Amino acid sequence: MNPSNPIVVSGYGVVSAIGVGKEQTLASLREHRSGIAPVLYLATVHRDMLVGEVKLSFDELMERVGVPSDAEAPQSRTALIGRLALREALQQAGLTTSDDYARTALISGTTVGGMDRTEIEASVTPDGQIVHYNYDCGTSTLDIARGFGQFAFVDTISTACSSAANAIGMAVELVRQGHFERVVAGGSEGLSRLHLNGFNTLMILDQQPCRPFDAQRNGINLGEGAAYLVIESEASALRRGVKPLAVLRGFGNACDAYHQTASSPDGEGAVLAMRRALDDAHLQPSDITYINCHGTGTPNNDLSELNALHRVFGDKLPPFSSTKGFTGHTTSASGSIEAAFCLLALHHHFLPINLNFQTPIPLSPSGGIEGGFDIPVVADVKFNLPPLRGNEGVLINSFAFGGNDSSLILSSYPEPQTPPQAASSQPSQTPQTPHSELRSRAPKEATPQTPQTPTRTVYLLAQTLLSPNVDPNFRDYLAPLESRRFDKLLKRTLCCSLETLRQYPDLVPEAIITATVWGSAVSAISFFHDMMRQGEAFLKPTLFMQSTHNTMSSLIAIQTHNHGYNNTHSQLSDSLPHALLDAWLQMQSGRVRSALVGIHDSIPAFDNRSYLLVTADALPPDCHPLAEFTTFSELSNLSNPQPPQTPRSELRSRAPKEATPQTPQTL
Amino acid sequence: MNELIETLKQQVIEALNLEDLTPADIDADAPLFGEGLGLDSIDALELIMILEKEYGIKLQSPAQGKEIFKSIRTMAEFIQANRTR
Repeated sequence: MNPSNPIVVSGYGVVSAIGVGKEQTLASLREHRSGIAPVLYLATVHRDMLVGEVKLSFDELMERVGVPSDAEAPQSRTALIGRLALREALQQAGLTTSDDYARTALISGTTVGGMDRTEIEASVTPDGQIVHYNYDCGTSTLDIARGFGQFAFVDTISTACSSAANAIGMAVELVRQGHFERVVAGGSEGLSRLHLNGFNTLMILDQQPCRPFDAQRNGINLGEGAAYLVIESEASALRRGVKPLAVLRGFGNACDAYHQTASSPDGEGAVLAMRRALDDAHLQPSDITYINCHGTGTPNNDLSELNALHRVFGDKLPPFSSTKGFTGHTTSASGSIEAAFCLLALHHHFLPINLNFQTPIPLSPSGGIEGGFDIPVVADVKFNLPPLRGNEGVLINSFAFGGNDSSLILSSYPEPQTPPQAASSQPSQTPQTPHSELRSRAPKEATPQTPQTPTRTVYLLAQTLLSPNVDPNFRDYLAPLESRRFDKLLKRTLCCSLETLRQYPDLVPEAIITATVWGSAVSAISFFHDMMRQGEAFLKPTLFMQSTHNTMSSLIAIQTHNHGYNNTHSQLSDSLPHALLDAWLQMQSGRVRSALVGIHDSIPAFDNRSYLLVTADALPPDCHPLAEFTTFSELSNLSNPQPPQTPRSELRSRAPKEATPQTPQTL
Repeated sequence: MNELIETLKQQVIEALNLEDLTPADIDADAPLFGEGLGLDSIDALELIMILEKEYGIKLQSPAQGKEIFKSIRTMAEFIQANRTR
């Protein structure tokens, strides 16, 4: 955090099972009204399943969004609820004109994208062929954006249940480093049969209302929703005469690198994510006054997370809760939805309670936790949230498949009339500062959008290109037993990445960033086709757990025991440039000195590419960099069909590149 | 029983994609998890799917699999006692 120009939230919008918009959401949270109920809208055979649906049908959503039902209309629940939340966020931040949007970047997290629409439209021909359009993640985000006009930049993060948190993390860095004046970031995910059945094959759906952190917890209720936060520098908000609502103080991400669907018993990834967020925010654990936990309600997550909390906070855990008893697990959108809940909590001085909590998880050394400390689950109204002092914050955890773990820290924005030290004695009744006063505090002239940190040179150390027509000998890289579940794309991804890493075996990349247009489409489509042909029964858990876009990034991390920053971008033909931008931002921030960046797709047949990038302070001795980049625009050339020329002896590519990547439209 | 064991071996190889193994490579009494074949919790879910799809046995929780999936033989014994098809 740069204390002289903090990153602030200037608007936010939220849609979930407990309400459309902040007002309804706040009322539900304060009145302890859960939105979890038997299936109402999703066309599934699992009618008795408890889910957290947004309480509007597709047609009602169309009406709320205010679009005619024609070809230009958003195609999916993901897009519709995304538009509702985005509109609320932009309006609160005073961004209402096409000029405003043109100077705002949009980063959205999603994993199933427009799957709910794909399911409605798909059909089986008499000869058994399945016909469907696939609404990929990037298209789904463009579908949300289209309702507003042209944004300055559009990106989609797809790291399963931490997608929205990682979108916000990327937004913070883009603003800090002056790439955009402001970024609106969050996530949207509509409930689909694909992921309801997918989680069902993993046998982690609770048939009762979910009970996070309870000794008797027995799994997840799935939910849906969307939330977005407008993120900008304080100077930018004040210049526009907009009152900052809170300070986005820190972000941290790490890979648990343990298992594709389970958290490690000691919560290593979660510990690292929380510690990185605290470091980023320049805060101590004792400065955290509330934690909105990931708390899905599965036996595995909640015990692992509790272990991680204990490792970070010791015996003095701040009050914490999971709000998934209200909304269900809103998967890719959960990070921004729960950040929105925390913003409401900060403004209204209450703590969202952990619904359905009765009995604490018993502590025992065999569970990895020594007993003898309180587990302060917020289970009733006796907990309130006192106004935060300047050096205090609330923490939000979002964890995902593949061990992609992220934490965000929000702090109060000090009221202008009082110095930050005295803010705690000023309750919320402080009248809103008139915009004119705020204007007078703002810098007279717009500060130019230039990077605040000196540019670090980035070097390309190694690269591997794998032609779509050539398969390496997988056994050279992977043991048959460990790769038995990997589809061909995963095997090619791992071989391509491991080959790049083998060239500098002592160098452990501090970030693994993947670009993918379609992700593990073969697994996802196989699962979908099984569901179409045989109905919602006997589906294969292996296909589902491989279907998330971040399977590749996390498998590389698991295979190489890498706990570094881990992220996945899926934005059509911009996927690789955006992954490279992410690596550039991470390296310019100084937190990361090396990154493995790759693009991996199977449909249609793209090549697999992998790049090892380092900054000067991580250059191995006697190495011969293949290229060097002093600006991002130079680095982004790596995403061109022809990468920079390098001495042949240095380029250990397996085969020459043949096909030019192009954006696929249909499968 | 022996016939069921052989069928089961083939089903396990297919469901778990153990393409390097033949039924003859699998000892019906060897542990499936840990030391033996080295299977894990996701494989257990696939085994549960075999029970459901092929033999009409529905387990309520993965924890029940612990005893059933000790070896191919214990799995076959459980199937014989509980199968509905």
